[in-house]
Order: sequence, then structure tokens, then C-alpha cells
Amino acid sequence: MPLTQVVSSRCLRLAALVFIAGLNLHCASGQDTDGVSAAPVESVESPAERGLVQQFNDALEPVDSFFGTVNGYIATVIFYPVPLGGDDSIPAAVLVLLLGATFFTIRMGFINVRGFKHAVMVTAGKYDNPDDQGEVTHFQALTAALSATVGLGNIAGVAIAICIGGPGATLWMVLAGFIGMSSKFVECTLGQKYREERPDGRIMGGAMYYLSRGLPELGLGGLGKVLGIMFAILCVGGSFAGGNSFQVKMSLGAVAQTLPFLAAPEVAGAADYRWIYGLLMSVVTGMVIIGGIRRIASAAEKIVPAMCGIYVAAALVILLKNIGQIPAALQLIVNDAFTGTAVSGGLVGVLVVGFQRAAFSNEAGVGSAAIAHAAAKTEYPVREGMVALLGPFIDTVVICTMTALVIVITGAWDPVQNPEFASLIESKNGAALTSVAMDQQIPGFRYVLSVAVVLFAFSTMISWSYYGERCWAFLFGDNASMSYRIIFLIFTFLGSIVSATNVLDFGDLMIFGMAIPNIIGVVLLSGKVRKDLDEYWQKLKNGDLEVTEQ
Amino acid sequence: MSFTTSKIVVPVDFSGESPHAIANAIRIAGDASKLHLVHVLLPLDTVSPGVLLGDVSDDARRKTVTEKLNSLAAEHGAAEATMSVLLGTPGTEIADYAKDQGADLIVIPSHGYHGVKRIFLGSVAERVIRHAECSVLVLRRSDAD
Repeated sequence: MPLTQVVSSRCLRLAALVFIAGLNLHCASGQDTDGVSAAPVESVESPAERGLVQQFNDALEPVDSFFGTVNGYIATVIFYPVPLGGDDSIPAAVLVLLLGATFFTIRMGFINVRGFKHAVMVTAGKYDNPDDQGEVTHFQALTAALSATVGLGNIAGVAIAICIGGPGATLWMVLAGFIGMSSKFVECTLGQKYREERPDGRIMGGAMYYLSRGLPELGLGGLGKVLGIMFAILCVGGSFAGGNSFQVKMSLGAVAQTLPFLAAPEVAGAADYRWIYGLLMSVVTGMVIIGGIRRIASAAEKIVPAMCGIYVAAALVILLKNIGQIPAALQLIVNDAFTGTAVSGGLVGVLVVGFQRAAFSNEAGVGSAAIAHAAAKTEYPVREGMVALLGPFIDTVVICTMTALVIVITGAWDPVQNPEFASLIESKNGAALTSVAMDQQIPGFRYVLSVAVVLFAFSTMISWSYYGERCWAFLFGDNASMSYRIIFLIFTFLGSIVSATNVLDFGDLMIFGMAIPNIIGVVLLSGKVRKDLDEYWQKLKNGDLEVTEQ
Repeated sequence: MSFTTSKIVVPVDFSGESPHAIANAIRIAGDASKLHLVHVLLPLDTVSPGVLLGDVSDDARRKTVTEKLNSLAAEHGAAEATMSVLLGTPGTEIADYAKDQGADLIVIPSHGYHGVKRIFLGSVAERVIRHAECSVLVLRRSDAD
């Protein structure tokens, strides 16, 4: 076949894809989500006087406002305010996650507590069998899933939560992490149970597979197919936004603290170089996902756990330096959790913010981690579920709590007492807020955090590109990856230029949207998990499970 | 115009259609040793945990697929066929392989994708037809109306 024919056939397919994407977005456009889009700033120059960089940014403005418009339509469904009596309401997706996690915790007999010790032993390799079917060990699967969740959500997302919801959000966030461990257990067990093996030994699994393959066993094939496709579409969206643009946006915020020329201009028309960061991230990510240079991604995956350790250690140093303030901070957190008076919104407001940020950070109930955990080598699906429940513990109960305590103790959440943080709070620039707060306590730490944040962002993006690509393959076939990768890189670039509010909202919408089909399916399939769990637990109690010699 | 049948390439993707294609090719050739069973592996991604942290590699995949290809062939009376595992884009790889081997005929099943999958994937059979320099027999799906 002549080259021109190959090229034209590919171009046609790409054109069709762009057309479909355009249709989808066009249909969804209409109104702003919450009226918090970036305030217009007066221009100081006439268009004729504006340089190339400024004109480039002008041309991108409609892209940003388009994000805001799209958000509005999707939000009316996913964040539909469910009335709770009086003036209070709770967004539909948050309610689904809250009810789901509570249900799974009870249905699985508090597996988040009773399975914890066993989970640690399995992760440590005590039950590893290299002959089991799969691609990675339990520990590697947990590392992969954690590299998707530990990232900007823990640093930026938590800081935003405390600013919006008040210190009380911390308590609800920790509680959400705690019961989220049960959601993660159930979904990742199902991810293993209904995974598919390709002829070359590669494993395909995740929520889209257990929804479409598990629900037919209950006579709900039609529903399974619809939920599986719905999940996959939203996961692709989540991988573009929360797993990609959001990471770029928030890491840029922290980097701009040390490299001010990358900061957003304070006056419209001033030179704006944020796109350089977007371009750089796109190039490096492109080198991995299109160029096939996997050494870059491997290096990041290996450095990230060390960065995690440094971050937690720094947070502990700050807490120790301020040990006298800890009792008062804890009291403030507990009191505010039930009154919600520190910022506004009352009990429901603070609870919603806490749950929302926890879910965004640890993804429990969202169904994404099941894609990574499905790849683990194991004889018993329940065993991988146990490993998975450590994810929300490490991510939320430990790391998010560290960020939250630092933000509360340093007072960075309170623009009235500490006006130096006001502009960062207003722009929802969470990573920069944490960076400034920590730097005040440990001078120079913002430089370390800048590096950590970029690495966190990068490893999260790599992991989410994997989630998104798997869902894309589920929708369009294994051979369609290249189109996904190109769109992913476009969103990487867009992350540097669209406003934080719009990116954050779009990321939230997609990732919380995934929770709706996922939780419905997982609740329906939870009986099967409980049965498997009881059998496994009995074997464990009887000492029938083979332990690996170490 | 006619075709000879001394060397027939049969692409195998391990779907339900593969045994059907093997059986037809044996019937046309009259002897399974004239068959070349070919599986094309898609290039590995660079972001999955198995690739980044685990032991997934092209060599491991090749080994697994070769074993499966041998057992499928044995099951369907084609144990004497030549087995090949290639890496790349299925349509072009199959056509190039047939050309390199000097094959007379390619026997390929059609999956009949519709809608969006059709737009994204096109059809391997379609691409084989466009690229191949020998005759191509596209088998209608065994469950087609």
C-alpha cells in the first residue's frame, strides 16, 4: 500500500475522532458551573501593541471559558444537589461515595480493620507466588496504584479543602479515607475476579471489565454493558483532566513559587510564559507515551516513594516544631467538623468538602485503581483486594492528614488572620499554598517541594495515561492507542494555560462521575465478593494458605 | 484469474473465527504443512505496571503466544504448519510477511466491527487486501446473517 494511502486512511480516522469529540463537547456546552471562573482582568494594551506571547494567550482564552461552560452541563447531573432537609443538600456523586463506602464497610464486616494486618503481610511478599497468573507482584501493583493517587491531590487538593471547608474538613477526609479502604477492597477484588487475559499474557482488568462481565452473571447484562461503557468514557475524561491537566496546573503553581517567570501574569497583557511549562511537560510525557522511552517513567516511579518519604518527614518536622499547638489544632479540627463555622457551609458543607477531596485523592469508590490491581499475580482475587485497601490508608489517613495538619497549624487556611495567603486561596492554588506554608517553617523547602511536586505530577500523569488508555482500548479496541496518546498530550499542554478553577472542576466532574456507574455495579456484585472473602478468611484461619519461604 | 495454493498465510488472533480460518485453509491447501500461521503482537505500551515495574517484555509475550499458537494448531490439525509471531501493525505486517515468504494466498477472517470501533480500527482484513501482493480470501463471519 502506498504511503499516501496509509497517511490518508489515518488522517480520516483522526478527523473522525476529532469530529466526534467536537460533537460531544459541543453538545455539553452551555453555562458556567458555579460562577467562580477566573475574573476578567482589564487589558493595559490595545491588541495592536500586544506581543506574540500575549496574542497566543488571547487566542487560548476561549479554550478556558469553554472548559467552564462544559463543566456546567455535566455538573448538573453528577453534582445534582440531593436535598437533605432544610437548606442543606449534598452532591449526588459525593452521596453515592459516602453511602457506598459505609455499605461496603458493613457488608464486608469492617475488612478495613480486620484485614489490615494480613494486607501488610501480603504486600510484604509473604504470600507471593511467581507462578501465579499476572504481570506484577502485590507490592508492585500497590506501588503503581499509589503513584496514581499520591500526587497533587495530597498536597494541593487538601490545602484547597481546608481553605474551602475549614479545618473540620480534615476529620471527614480521614474518615472518608478510613471507610474508603473498604470500597477499594471490594472494587479491586472484582478487578481481579473479572479480568481478561490476552493471548500474549497481558492482563486487562478494571471497573469496565467487572461491570460488563460481572453483571451479566446476575442477569443484568444490558445494565453491565451500559455502566461499563459509561465508566470507560468518564475514566478517559478523568485521565485527561484530573489525572493530567490538573496535575500540570497545580505543579506549575508550586514551580512558579521558585521560578516566578512561570507565574500567571497579574495584569492582562503582561508577558505570560506558563505555556513553556506545559510544552515541556508535554514533550517529556510524549517521550514516554509515544516515544517509548520507558526509562524516564521507570525513574520517576522509583524516585516518587523517596519523595513521599521526604514530604512526610518534612511535615513531621513542622508538626514537632509546633508541638505545643497540636492540641489546639486538633480541637479546632474536631469542633469545626461538627459546626462548620470556620469558613461557611455548616456541617454538611464541611463534610462534603472533606469527602470530596479524600475521594479525589485516594480514588476509593471511583474504580480506577482496580485497573492497576487487576494486573497483580495472585491465586485469590480477595488477596489483591486486601493489598489495595492499604492505598487509601497511606494516601489519605497518613499523607493527606500531614498536609492538613501543616495547613491548619501554620494558619495558611485563614486569609483573615494571615492575609499573605489570601491571593493563593482565592485562586485555589493549593500546591503553592502548601509550598509557602511549609517554606515559612523550613526555609528553602519550597525548592525541594517544587521538585517533588513535578515528580508527583509526572508519575500521576503516567499512571492515569495507563488508566485512560486501557479504557480507550476497552471502547475502541487495543489498536487505537495512538489517538488517545495524542489527545492526552494536548490536555497536558492545556493544563498549563486554562484557569485552575475550571481544570479542578472538570477533573472533579469526570472522576466523581466514574464513581456513579462503579458504585452501582460494585454494590450489585458485593455479594460475590463477600462469599469469596468468607471462603478466603476461613482458609486463612485454618492455616490453609501457602506462605512463601523468605 | 486463479491462484495456486502451495503456501497459504493464515493470520491468527485467537478469536472464535481463527479455527474456522485454519480449517478452510487446510481444505484449500489439502495439506496443513503448506500453512503459515501468523500472529501479530501490537507494540507494548510504556506505562502499564507490568512494563514499568513487572516482567512484561516482548520476548515474554512472544514466548507465551508461540505456545498458544502451537497448541491451537495442534488442536485443529495444523501441527505441521509453520508458526510465526510478528510485532507491529497487523494489516501491514501480515501483507509484508506474505510477500517475504512468497505466499500464494492469505486466508483471513473478517470480524465485522461496526460503528465507532470500525472508524478507529478499520479492519485488519481491509488493510491486508490493500497491502497484499498475493490473493486474499476474506472469510465471512461464521455467525454472520
